[in-house]
Amino acid sequence: MSVHAGARERGGQPGWVVVLEQELRELWVAGRGLVLCFALSILLSALAYLAATNQALNFLEQRESVNLVVQVGMIVGALLALLAAADAISGERERGTLESLLVAPVSRRQLAGAKLLAALSLWLAAYVILVPYAWFLARDLGIVGTALVASFVVGTLLACFLASFGLLVSLFASSNRVSLSVSLFALLALFAPTQLPGGARQGWFADLLLHVNPVTSGERFVNRVIISGSGWGQEFGWLVSPLVAAALFGAGAVVLASRLRLGGGGAG
Amino acid sequence: MSAAVEARGIAKRYGTQVALEDLTFTVAAGEIVGVLGPNGAGKTTAIRILTTILRPDRGSFSVAGIPSTEPARIRARVGVLPESAGYPERQRGEEYLRFHARLFGHSSASARAVARALLEEVGLAERGRSLIETYSRGMRQRLGIARALVNDPAVVFLDEPTLGLDPAGQREILARVRALARERGASVLLSTHLLDEVEENCSRVLILNRAHVVAEGTVAEIVRRAAAARRGRIRVPPEDVERSLQTLSGSGAVQEVVAADGAAGWLTVQLAAPASGSADASLNAVVGVLVDAGVPLLACELEGARLSDAFLAVTGGA
Repeated sequence: MSVHAGARERGGQPGWVVVLEQELRELWVAGRGLVLCFALSILLSALAYLAATNQALNFLEQRESVNLVVQVGMIVGALLALLAAADAISGERERGTLESLLVAPVSRRQLAGAKLLAALSLWLAAYVILVPYAWFLARDLGIVGTALVASFVVGTLLACFLASFGLLVSLFASSNRVSLSVSLFALLALFAPTQLPGGARQGWFADLLLHVNPVTSGERFVNRVIISGSGWGQEFGWLVSPLVAAALFGAGAVVLASRLRLGGGGAG
Repeated sequence: MSAAVEARGIAKRYGTQVALEDLTFTVAAGEIVGVLGPNGAGKTTAIRILTTILRPDRGSFSVAGIPSTEPARIRARVGVLPESAGYPERQRGEEYLRFHARLFGHSSASARAVARALLEEVGLAERGRSLIETYSRGMRQRLGIARALVNDPAVVFLDEPTLGLDPAGQREILARVRALARERGASVLLSTHLLDEVEENCSRVLILNRAHVVAEGTVAEIVRRAAAARRGRIRVPPEDVERSLQTLSGSGAVQEVVAADGAAGWLTVQLAAPASGSADASLNAVVGVLVDAGVPLLACELEGARLSDAFLAVTGGA
């Protein structure tokens, strides 16, 4: 009897679990994830140090310092998830390894879903790194819990939305460069309004745009909860956009994954 | 014997470009079938359709007795070495095979056993723990063949497995393909440009040209059908060339005869298509005419008796 005989009776794991395990191993054991997290921890250390120094000089309110570090941790974590997802399929396509995966008896949805989950692990790692910095800056204000929960909820929604978006682009992009460029451009376009001066963000139209844009909306929610001390119910309107975007794009990525093609786009 | 692959009227277009038209053929269990054709003939498209990577626009097929309406079940029973397959450079050979074995339902322990057995089988046992980035082109192809076997497939599709390999590497891969059919009883569809190797290894051949099947059958059948009218070369003493030309010109076995340029004593003979029998019979007739005329024959050879000539004939020299 060959060594293969009866393999299916030996009870292997579902395809998506196998793909997820392999993706996590490549991300975290091969070193890319660890290097990115190390870079994030250096960035947050520098920010926390500057924020603490500015507090001492009275240039920055303590709550603003907490908000700044939390926002940076959130957006960088979501960015990492976006980039990993944007590389997920188009990267395999470009390296010539996609066809070998497509001939395995694993559905394209399972394949894409596993890769999405692996990309989201980068956000979770970023959040774990963020925790001690947020605790250090918020411990005297009694808002450690609020800051951590708000950043986790909003960061998770943004990471889900952005990673799903990146995966969608990756599913249909003909090259990895296109996928990464489009994803990064979209993130910058969504993030840019958060950097506009306060005056430019007033009026009903600006308010509508801020509410519709999941990134500005999430940023505003965390901002109000941490700096203004507002309650969650009071500011829930700002959570709607990230929530809807995460649900829509997440579902869209999984549904459209069945249309994954070897050559990307409409080919094949 | 039941068919391992049965394709019926498969057609595929990319936009306005016809990639395949009315592809119909069968492959018996344990058979090695060579799929030949010039670049762009539709070989890779055919393999991708039969392995369920692409959906045909028309037609149907079954692989290992499983209809095309059940692609997941087909994928579980086939092994594929894609054209220009890529490999994850940072993985080790054994890890790569283990991963793919698990995708086909093996538990971690059995995947490890399968990976090691296959590495042994393709002669990579000692390099199983090396990173794939350190593998040569030939080693990668052997690893790709091993990957195609992780599920003990009933049908194996090999798309240009010898591409980019030196002659020794090509021979080695083709020896493994033969062993595959012989030892595992798997049917093999082998797409390649190495016509001489197909002639040696494949029991049947399918020739595609511009999206259509232009020839199908055993090598002997294709050669016979495609190369009905062929050329022969005959060498006579240089002083007998003129006499030979006159004698042969009046013979019904010859369409045309000319003295070969720059080769003293050589005549190139365009044989008449035989009413029955093979081209060899036509050449025999020519030889008989010369012998009867008392012309000494120094050498005689029939051109176009190989698959490569038939290939050029049926593909229009593509």
